[in-house]
Formats: sequence, structure tokens, C-alpha cells
Amino acid sequence: MDTIITNEGTKTMVKLKGRLDTTNADQFQHDIQPLMECKDPDIDVDCCDMEYTSSQGLRLFLTLQKSVMSHGGKLVLRNMKPQVKEVFDITGFSNIITIV
Amino acid sequence: MKKRFNPIKDKSSEIIEYLMSSPDMPDDEMLRFKLRLSIEEAVVNVVQYAYEGGIGWLEAGTSLDEDKLILSIELRDAGTPFNPLEKEDPDLTLDADQRQIGGLGIFLCKKMMDSISYRYENGNNVLTMTKKIQ
Repeated sequence: MDTIITNEGTKTMVKLKGRLDTTNADQFQHDIQPLMECKDPDIDVDCCDMEYTSSQGLRLFLTLQKSVMSHGGKLVLRNMKPQVKEVFDITGFSNIITIV
Repeated sequence: MKKRFNPIKDKSSEIIEYLMSSPDMPDDEMLRFKLRLSIEEAVVNVVQYAYEGGIGWLEAGTSLDEDKLILSIELRDAGTPFNPLEKEDPDLTLDADQRQIGGLGIFLCKKMMDSISYRYENGNNVLTMTKKIQ
């Protein structure tokens, strides 16, 4: 999976592309590490090209959410494909992470 | 079809791709998504936890019933006896602060498949998952 991170003013834009699974969860964790170190995070994640996530991916989204909350920041996931959204819905993650 | 992988350390993707390329698998993309997710969760469980150091085997197979309506996926290993279905489902009502990181994999299998069963047989863990594919 590709993770592209860019800054637009005070906002951090993230674009995800491909499958987030057991083979690349470690890489993804490494890629999003800078987001966990933001002082006042305002993170916008475009998921339109994210094809898939397993529980390993969900865990990392939860870790990111917890980190953002502890820094008093904001995390939004958007444009999620229906089948990926279903994984977030089934696990209750839609209730704890903002998805628009 | 079925195949025994040995050793299985770092072989999760190879085992997942083997099962996903089975002629028993449906073509429908939504079904394949659910099957891939269930297979990944179940395979990763065995590869990461069944054997100390990942040294051991996993036999992975697929089959269809005679009407070709119901797909079965079977995983067999000789690791530590472990019934993943005994694990309590995660509490979905907790907020992010309280949610535990983990315990989601087998829960997703239960939700994505029509049935999932476990038995301990001749020293082997046997996990069988089924899904109606037509």
C-alpha cells in the first residue's frame, strides 16, 4: 500500500492507495509514525483508493485515533469504498473514528 | 484442493494467495473481499501463534458441496491446541480510549462467513469456515 503525506497549511493530507494487509502493516505503521508525533494534529485521510483492510490495518487506525485524541487533534477518514466501510462498521470502528 | 505448507514462518501471503487462486473460489468481487479477509485473519492467527518460533506446518484447502453452492475453507495445524471461537467478542460499544488493540481478527471471520467451526482431531487444530457463494 502507498501512503502519501502532504501538508496544506495547518492540515495534514494523507492519501492511501492499495491493500492494507498483513504483508504491509509494518510499513504502514512506519509511514504514519510522523502523524503520531504531530503537536496539534489535523489529519484528513483520503481512502478512495484503499482497496482493503484487515484487522492489522484497523489496529493501526485505532492507534492513530488514540494518538490524535491524546494530542487534542482531529482525524477524518473520507471517500471510503463500501466494502472497506463495512469492515469499519462491523467492528464498531465507525463509532470511534470520524468517517465522512 | 489442499496443500501443506511447511515451515509457515513468513508464509502468510503465499498461503492466502494459494487459497484465493483455488478454482473453487467465486468470481464475485464482494464475495472475494469477504473471503480474503476471513482467510487472512485465520491464516495469520496460525502463522503467528500456533507454533513457537513459527516452526511447523499448516494444511490449507478449499472444497465445494455437490451443488457447488457452499464453499468450505479448512485450515489444519499441529500447533498448540487453541479454539479461537472461545475468545470473547470485542465490546463494540466502548469508545476509542477503552477499545483494546486486538481481538478483531476472528470476530471479522465470524461476521464475514456463514459458519465457522473448530475441532481438535488427532493432535490437530482444524478450523472450517463456510460461505454460500451463489
